[in-house]
Amino acid sequence: MSESELIAVLESEAGPKEKADACRELAVVGTKEAVPALAALLGDEKLSHMARYGLETIPDPAVDDALRGALGKLEGRPLVGAIASIGVRRDAKAAAPLAKLLRHSDADVAGAAARALGRIATPEAVEAVKEALEKAPEELRPAVADGCLGAAEALLAHDKRPEAAALYQLVSQADLPKHFRVAAAHGALSARQPAANP
Amino acid sequence: MSRGQPPSGARVSARREPFTIEVAGSSPVTRRQFLGRAAVAGGLVAAPCLVPGSALGRDGAVAPNERIVLGGIGIGGRGSGDLRWMMAEKDVQFVAVCDAKKAQREKVKQIVDERYGNTDCATYRDLREFLATREDIDAVLIATGDRWHALASVMAMRAGKDVYSEKPSCMTIAQGQAVVETANRYRRIYQTGTQRLSEAKFTFANELLRTGKLGEVHTVRAHIAPWDAAEMRHDWLPGEPEPPRDEVDWDQWLGPCPWRPYNAAYVRGGWRGHYDFHTSCIGEWGAHTFAQCHVAIGAAGTSPIAYEYVDNPTGDGMVTRFANGVKMILHRGDQWWHGSCGVRYEGTEGWVAIADGYAKPEVSSPALLDDFERVVREYVDRTGNAQSHVRNLFDCIKSRRPTVANPVVMHRSMTTVHAANICMWLKRDMKYDPVQEEFVDDPEANRLRSRAMRAPWTL
Repeated sequence: MSESELIAVLESEAGPKEKADACRELAVVGTKEAVPALAALLGDEKLSHMARYGLETIPDPAVDDALRGALGKLEGRPLVGAIASIGVRRDAKAAAPLAKLLRHSDADVAGAAARALGRIATPEAVEAVKEALEKAPEELRPAVADGCLGAAEALLAHDKRPEAAALYQLVSQADLPKHFRVAAAHGALSARQPAANP
Repeated sequence: MSRGQPPSGARVSARREPFTIEVAGSSPVTRRQFLGRAAVAGGLVAAPCLVPGSALGRDGAVAPNERIVLGGIGIGGRGSGDLRWMMAEKDVQFVAVCDAKKAQREKVKQIVDERYGNTDCATYRDLREFLATREDIDAVLIATGDRWHALASVMAMRAGKDVYSEKPSCMTIAQGQAVVETANRYRRIYQTGTQRLSEAKFTFANELLRTGKLGEVHTVRAHIAPWDAAEMRHDWLPGEPEPPRDEVDWDQWLGPCPWRPYNAAYVRGGWRGHYDFHTSCIGEWGAHTFAQCHVAIGAAGTSPIAYEYVDNPTGDGMVTRFANGVKMILHRGDQWWHGSCGVRYEGTEGWVAIADGYAKPEVSSPALLDDFERVVREYVDRTGNAQSHVRNLFDCIKSRRPTVANPVVMHRSMTTVHAANICMWLKRDMKYDPVQEEFVDDPEANRLRSRAMRAPWTL
């Protein structure tokens, strides 16, 4: 089917199987034109995932606008999923709304936000996970620490060694299981190495 | 989705230490010793204090504080074979299983309890509860089926566990990247279940290449499964009423995959051939044979750069090419082997072929088989890699050295599987950049490198 035909399926009274199949195909052929129809399904308990399946790989900023815009309207699993997709796409503009979700009462939401911020790793995202690690309740601390470690790796990849070292220091000092201290120690060693020659 | 270079730097390499408790005025004791003394002091052990010889390491038994504590996730038919193999090792203690299916949990518990002569094996339905509450578990055996291998591995490693994951160990290139990233981040030991990398006759074939006995290697051939196709199903089986959650947790069974109505056939092995759950006939055996070929030609850290589409349902005859000039050709039939999971390596001065069921490799000249035992022995001495895949895992858990089928080996060979699949699905030749980890000038193919995961089962 063409993209317009697939969009028409999403906007029709077709059943969940047909719409899921349309989402799957749009994951490969969809463009900006498909974003509104897919985004409209982000809050649908049955089709929310397939809506993201279609959206996540469309290389257009309209997807990021749609996912970001949905954050304030979703709850539960659809919200967790939208956050995860934002993390996959590394949407820098989502840092501020994701930072607010670090305090969400749903631990899955807060944890997903922490990991997504770790992937985004802008200065705003890094500050958010740092602050969250210092305040996180015990059940959330591993997810936030994982976000911090992800952010530190991203900083290292961009040769921002002092910033990465600060994150590793924070993780090593937090009340966390031993393997986090191992991770932080290894990361801190990497942060102290001189940059590789280009 | 280009990946930056991983951080450079020395590995933190330390022998695995048991959890220690500092007791004022005395030497540090292990956790297990401390608990034992506390039990005696609390009168929980009747006098005279009889401690089993196995606890003291007598008669060949390994003392508890030197045992690797193992758990399992999704152990079915194949996984049960792995489980028995692992429990035969004296320095392993299997303590708990997690499975979405109650019948399977109970079956595994029975196997384990019979092995140890007790009723101690714990069972869990909820994977997150299992990983969060069993801090005593050092490593997990994951044998859930293709769809869960990568995410379960990532979740386990985030929880501080080392991992043995059955193959195919990921559903997409992005999942493979996540496994590499997580293992590196948490310094976890990981082995993918490509056990022929630890079998002497396959090892010998690889050593023939490494030592130049075949001359310049130009072609390798890799077996793909003689069932299913590269093109997979997108239909749903007829919906059936979902069983009670404790019987079959359908939501967890699906995990990161798209939702579809329950049908008992899926959970009985009928998931094969479905796009959402399976990596096709190419992945079924390619997970093994591509890993063999990659390692043999010194390409463990890369993938082919070219894939030539073949107009048939299975990928049989597909030619792929590595940057070092070596061709890898996929074969479904028996023209090059007479067993399963065959590989054949061809050089300017000879060839070698090996598959399951061979006593020794077949070679272009009998002289190539000279010193078979010595060559394998020297390989083991040089690498430290035991010729048992689970022994290699357990040795590496203790030494913290990388396993023979470590995350990079898994990810790069599975990338070849996924690229070959994508080539078949899009029905055209592909070029792949293994450094940037993307298809060259092919946005459509690049969009198939990942699939959005179903919440809350996300990376």
